[in-house]
Formats: sequence, C-alpha cells, structure tokens
Amino acid sequence: MEEPKVISAWRKAAWPDIRKLGRVLVRIALGALFVFAGATKAYDPGAFAIEIQRYQLVPWILCALVSVYLPWLEMLAGVLLFLKRFQRGALLVITLLLLVFTFALASAMFRGLSIDCGCFGKAFTATGTTVPLLRNLVLLVFTGILWMEHR
Amino acid sequence: MRALSQAALILLAALIPAGLTAAFHPQRPPWSEETLLPGEARIQTVLAWGGDVQWIDARSAKDYEAEHVPGAILLNLEDWDQLFPRFLDQWNPEKKAVVYCSSTACELSHEVAERLQKDGISPVYVLKGGWEAWKSRK
Repeated sequence: MEEPKVISAWRKAAWPDIRKLGRVLVRIALGALFVFAGATKAYDPGAFAIEIQRYQLVPWILCALVSVYLPWLEMLAGVLLFLKRFQRGALLVITLLLLVFTFALASAMFRGLSIDCGCFGKAFTATGTTVPLLRNLVLLVFTGILWMEHR
Repeated sequence: MRALSQAALILLAALIPAGLTAAFHPQRPPWSEETLLPGEARIQTVLAWGGDVQWIDARSAKDYEAEHVPGAILLNLEDWDQLFPRFLDQWNPEKKAVVYCSSTACELSHEVAERLQKDGISPVYVLKGGWEAWKSRK
C-alpha cells in the first residue's frame, strides 16, 4: 500500500532531525558511561590494580600505574565528549580505549581465565567477560555513529 | 589532525589527577615490584580497606578454632558442603571477600578463592602471606 503523500513528506522533513536526536542520545550514553566507569574505579585504585593484574597481561608496576591513570582518562574523555571544541579528541581517546578493553577481554576469554571485567569497580561485579565483550562491541558501533558525524 | 592533537592533550591532562592520586589517594596501589599472583592483595592494601572486608579462613577447623582474624568465616574445601551454606548466611555482598590460609606456601586460599568465584562470589582476593602476614602486620 502506498503511503499517503503527507506522511512521506513529513518523514522526509523529519528524518534529519531524528538522526540528529539519535546521535545526541548516543553521545550522552557513551559520555555518561565513561564518566561513571571512571568514577567507580577512581574511588579505589588499589582494588582496580588487582583487577587489572587478573588479566595477566602486564607486570604489577604497570597495573599500578594504569590503575591511577585510566579512571581519570575515562572521566576526562567522557566529559569532553560533551564539549563541541574537544569532541573529536575525546571520541578518538574513547575509541582507542574501547579497542584496548576489547582486546584485553577477548584475550582473557581466549586464555580461559575466569575473571571479572573489572570495568565498573565494585558497582557491577560477577559479570564475567562475555557480556562486557559484547557490550564493548555495541559501544564501538556507537563510536562509529559519532565518527560519521565528523567525516 | 585536530583529533590527534586533542587526544594527545587529553592523555597529558589526565596525568595531573593521576599523579595526585598516586601521591595522595588513601587507597592507592603499592608500587613495589614484589611479585603478586593474580588476585593477591598485600596486608597493607587489605588493612586500608578497613571495615569493607569479609575475611575468609581457608585453613582447617582446628587452626581456625585456635586463632583467626576477628570476624573471619571458616570456609575450606574439606568441609565445603557444610561450610558454604553457612558462609552464604553470613555473606554480605557489599564487602570485599579476602581469603587467607597459613602462609605464603599454602595453596588453599587460592583454591577457595577460585571455588568462590565459580560460585558467583566476586570480587574475591587472596591475602598474600596468609595468617603469618596478618600476625606480623604493623
């Protein structure tokens, strides 16, 4: 059945707005998630360092250094994603971080380590690695959507 | 190009709060390179967690009865089927579970921690040095 002309005209006119709204929502979700993830870990870097060590990827001193640095980097990038001036840089940092996290989770899964993601400090635990890995892939799609805007 | 220089700026800017955290955060990680096994925490780290900790004693019932960390719950593999339900009754998921056995040489704490994680308890830490580390704490 053919669509009435009024509706197709409306759809045509509204489509750019719908897309714009979608991108705004994606931006809010991604930025807020990074701020939240950073804050939960900045609260207790000592425990986060141990979570990193469970991945058995880097020596202890690097786990310790990452545990004090990464939470702030996540929060900073999450906040700056909302500032027009710094959007591109923040998006680049977030994309790179997600790639690193995805690699770490996939390698833990591949090596059969039974560990927790450690992504949100003590806020969410007993999550395993599969769900966080899938979530990361969705978040990478989100960054893809935002990159399209900056083409 | 702008994205790259901005990203570099963000990476540098995060160093400032990171440095302050490393210097002043009451729960900052220890820096020493003394090797820790995955999931192990030093006594100083656990003490800094204060009341946020649920101690779990992985030694034998005899050792536990002789002496244990105040508030510790007895949970060993030998009597797991009886002890685990009792543990669950007392278990507060808000707290960090820290398992210990007698010393650095014992494996029991790691085995119990692994079993707990398989049963969905998380996060679980193992006290490096076990009971001996507790006794000689400063």
